[in-house]
Amino acid sequence: MSADREQELFDLVGYMVTSARNLLDEPPLYGPFRLLDSASRLIAILEETGAASPRLLALRGRIEAGKYSVMGEETAFRAFLDDLVNALVDVMIGKQEGK
Amino acid sequence: MELWEAIKGRRSVRRFTERPVERERLERLVEAAVWAPSGGNAQTWRFVVLTTRNSVRRLKAVSPGLLGDPPALVAVCQDLAEVRRRGGTLGETFLAPVDAAMAAQNLLLAAHAEGLGTCVIASFHRGGVARLLGLEAAVEPILLVSVGWAAETPSPPPRREGRVAFTEVRQDVR
Repeated sequence: MSADREQELFDLVGYMVTSARNLLDEPPLYGPFRLLDSASRLIAILEETGAASPRLLALRGRIEAGKYSVMGEETAFRAFLDDLVNALVDVMIGKQEGK
Repeated sequence: MELWEAIKGRRSVRRFTERPVERERLERLVEAAVWAPSGGNAQTWRFVVLTTRNSVRRLKAVSPGLLGDPPALVAVCQDLAEVRRRGGTLGETFLAPVDAAMAAQNLLLAAHAEGLGTCVIASFHRGGVARLLGLEAAVEPILLVSVGWAAETPSPPPRREGRVAFTEVRQDVR
């Protein structure tokens, strides 16, 4: 593993660990946002290594397009997360049907 | 720039271009910050300015609210020993964060007038950031402000209604 890659992973782990601590004191909606953002950051690192699949990249695109809805009304963020999970399931079902 | 345009046009920016921010601009932002009011004119704030993307990136590991890759960052800090000396308990529990916030708002508006994007960050580990910045023991970071050239133009979220009341003191008060 290159030093740059290790640094990126270290920073991501730092983000997750610090989030775990800070979320004890932060607004409840920050929790799902941090999980979502962690997923996006992980996929970004995988992309740089050439290890991200098209479906992961598509998922990241959806996350990035809507993750800041957390700053608006909770109902909109909740709907965004539902759509995201449904899109994930669509991909899973599509894969199964393609077998 | 008109003040009203600055107030209404400022956005929280979380995506930045690669373009660095000149030191002279950052100096102007901090100058705007120190012209903010402070409780009892205490001016106990301290400002730590990071001017390279790599430096800012190092803070991200302990700053979950620091999103995107801004080329510069201002840590709005308070010298809590001086805060206690000048402001007592009120200073420590109330004035220190309020003064930091007023200074930060000045900085945000000045940045917007410069054409820069900013985002205020409260979600970070205070102890971790203090150690990474090498702050003196009594100096605590209160807010971080990311600064850079916006790579996005966020839409303004609607203002919540019913939060303002024009009223008078109760009629039964003598």
